[in-house]
Amino acid sequence: MRPIRLALTKGRLEDKTVEMLERLGYDCAPVHAKGRRLVLPVVGANMEIVLAKAADVVTYVENGVCDLGVVGKDTIMEMGGTFYEVADLGFGLCKFALAVPVGTDFYAGYHTRCIASKYVNVTRAFFEKKNMDVKIVKIEGSVELAPILGLSDAIVDIVETGVTLRENGLTIAEDICDVSARLIVNIASLKMRKKEIEPFISEIEAFADRNR
Amino acid sequence: MKQYNKITPDGTRDRLFDECNVRESITNRLSSMFSLRGYRQVSTPAIEFYDVFANAAAHYPAEDMYKMSDTRGRLMVLRSDCTIPIARLAATRLAGMPKPLRLYYNQNVYRVEHGMRGKPSEIFQTGVELIGAGSLRGDLEIVELAASGLGEVCGMRGYRIELCHIGYFKALMDNLDASLEKKEEIRQCIEQKNYALLRDLLEPFQKNRAAKALAYLPRLFGGVEVFDKAYELFDKDGARDSLDSLKQIYCCLRELGLAEHVLIDLGLVNQAEYYTGMIFRGYLDGIGEPVLSGGRYDNLLSDFGTPTCATGFAFQVDTIADSMECRKPKAPDILVFADDAHLSAAIHYCKSLTENGLTVENAVFEDFDMAKGYARQAGIRELHVVDNEIEIIYLKGRGNAE
Repeated sequence: MRPIRLALTKGRLEDKTVEMLERLGYDCAPVHAKGRRLVLPVVGANMEIVLAKAADVVTYVENGVCDLGVVGKDTIMEMGGTFYEVADLGFGLCKFALAVPVGTDFYAGYHTRCIASKYVNVTRAFFEKKNMDVKIVKIEGSVELAPILGLSDAIVDIVETGVTLRENGLTIAEDICDVSARLIVNIASLKMRKKEIEPFISEIEAFADRNR
Repeated sequence: MKQYNKITPDGTRDRLFDECNVRESITNRLSSMFSLRGYRQVSTPAIEFYDVFANAAAHYPAEDMYKMSDTRGRLMVLRSDCTIPIARLAATRLAGMPKPLRLYYNQNVYRVEHGMRGKPSEIFQTGVELIGAGSLRGDLEIVELAASGLGEVCGMRGYRIELCHIGYFKALMDNLDASLEKKEEIRQCIEQKNYALLRDLLEPFQKNRAAKALAYLPRLFGGVEVFDKAYELFDKDGARDSLDSLKQIYCCLRELGLAEHVLIDLGLVNQAEYYTGMIFRGYLDGIGEPVLSGGRYDNLLSDFGTPTCATGFAFQVDTIADSMECRKPKAPDILVFADDAHLSAAIHYCKSLTENGLTVENAVFEDFDMAKGYARQAGIRELHVVDNEIEIIYLKGRGNAE
């Protein structure tokens, strides 16, 4: 049977996850020396690490080609999908927030607001809950530009320190929810390979609890 | 206007050769098993009135259905589920038949697939419904049939079937003093095994025994040991009865030698409003999603005015078929060629060959060399020329000389 496949979100979450795995005693040396490879073995364990973009981690796990994945709650909220979300890893902390240009009152007046965001589904859900009709524009890159250039009244984005917002003349109007890295599991994998996957989840959960 | 006349719609596809054979063989094996156990085939239209599905819309969201209107402006949908039309059938045309009804079907369902996630929108299902059997015996029959079906189509692969009884979850929820919205959030957490958020949501109910059990629910999966833990956590109201009946089914399956294939997961709470008793899902090695799902739905038929208990399941035939290897199409055994004077003789000869079980093509070419060229290209090994007598020419493989 193929090794258990763990998909990691490339970049900062990858580093944090590898650090966690190493502290749990998994030898991730090949990941440090990865070069351009995207599938890497965990030495001495029947497991391999797959490096992917956040949204693709969800896709690979949902389709069962990867058994487990580490991905931000922001991506999970935006993409949805069918899988188990078994642990909050306690790192990659940030939050979703609604931000507006400093000095403006988002809720004043009666015109239909325009919101720029990379996370259109999160934005839609947030305003649906408020029973508010808004115009949503999808922006791929630095969303802060949209209100500066006059395209939108506000943005919905993930905020970590708030520095980027401040330097671009924006301020948080409302917090939407907290975000952190999550361990997700394919539904069939958990059922078919329970003996291998369950102890791994428990280890990670215990680790996350210790660091909470 | 752009013409979409050379591609198929998103989520659909053409099936070629062995792709059809593999699917048909799975369907045939399951169907013959069902019919030997007294189930009879029914088929329902691909288009139904929206009203048939409207009551069940909570379980099959309206935005996931393909809709159109008929010539009188009435709202129609493409069948998005097989059980609901069969419930309609059972509650109307079959209402007077002696119960239980044992029915099976082989048909497509259609669901709008939002986003490019690799999911099909045309889904072929083979399944059964046992209508009018409310007892444990009914549950056992259905789950055993499902397990046998998995065994039949798994090939050499491992398979698992997981069982749950929604009554346990419902008893816990009944004992939790929370708003409906909060309960739905809790249900979602259990479904997604989101331990962390579930713990937070249940924090305010700390002293409540049901809340403690709910917090543990996603972890209540595994073998027989799950029952002991579940009884210990909560056994009031319907909880004990649900566990009793589930355990009895589990023990019967064990006696049938299925212990290694059966798993209990009391956290299987999808479509909690639709199901009323035992629920189950089946998995095959190497497939990342359930290939079988089913359970008891005693409330559905009352939507059609005839309250009747019922249970059943469906196999996702395409998901299984797609995981199986397809062979390269096999060339026919013989190509038959005749000149203009022997056209009917050639057809007569073809038929005599097929009666012996050979696969035969009758050449459509007027010219012998073209027929021979075609046979070579198609990998046909024998060319039979019908004249006053039959001349047999043996051809070697593709492109080779005689």
